[in-house]
Amino acid sequence: MESEKLTWEDMQERYPNEWLVIVDYETDETGRFLCGVVKRHSADMDEAAMPPMVGTRTAFRYTGESTFRGLRSHANRHAL
Amino acid sequence: MQTVTPFDTGKHHICIDFLLIDNTGTRHDCFGVVDTGAPRTEFSDAFLVHAGLIASVESDISIQPGLQTQKHDTLVLPSVVICGQSLKDFPVMVSRFDEGWGIGALIGLDFFRRFRVTIDYERGNLICEPYVVA
Repeated sequence: MESEKLTWEDMQERYPNEWLVIVDYETDETGRFLCGVVKRHSADMDEAAMPPMVGTRTAFRYTGESTFRGLRSHANRHAL
Repeated sequence: MQTVTPFDTGKHHICIDFLLIDNTGTRHDCFGVVDTGAPRTEFSDAFLVHAGLIASVESDISIQPGLQTQKHDTLVLPSVVICGQSLKDFPVMVSRFDEGWGIGALIGLDFFRRFRVTIDYERGNLICEPYVVA
């Protein structure tokens, strides 16, 4: 288990395109994630999600660029 | 109370941090997309498993051709904080998301219709203010 507190930018560089479970994390006054300790990581979302972290304050985040482009896949060729 | 939530105007969609509070009162932070075209808010089944709010994800659930989410259950969340606004007992759809989306929720109109909402793209702010009940 990692113990080093990393910024979000550090995490993106160290764990590219992975799902992270982050503990001991900090946010700004608007709730925007700033930094934390990576507890576990995986390229597989379901693998990263298990086992559940009930009772432990966590952030569950993906370091890659989101591929989400909206729910109208049939209009893909015309979407921005 | 009015809240101001910043977002990155360079992204394809409005993406914001939100909080899910589990049955022990513990907070789980994730990233969500504002989807004003969705009547119902959907939460990622993987994120709900992570927070201990559902037991597991059925292995045979996959995203069907022509769809981009696969809704497969409903759940009443004990507490969420979205755009700085707290909601108790918030009903949502439980969905399978493409893991490349990198999100834990699609936040739909069932959340936003409770507030006066301003999207300020010039400043990159999402402003929410509850309606005053007469």
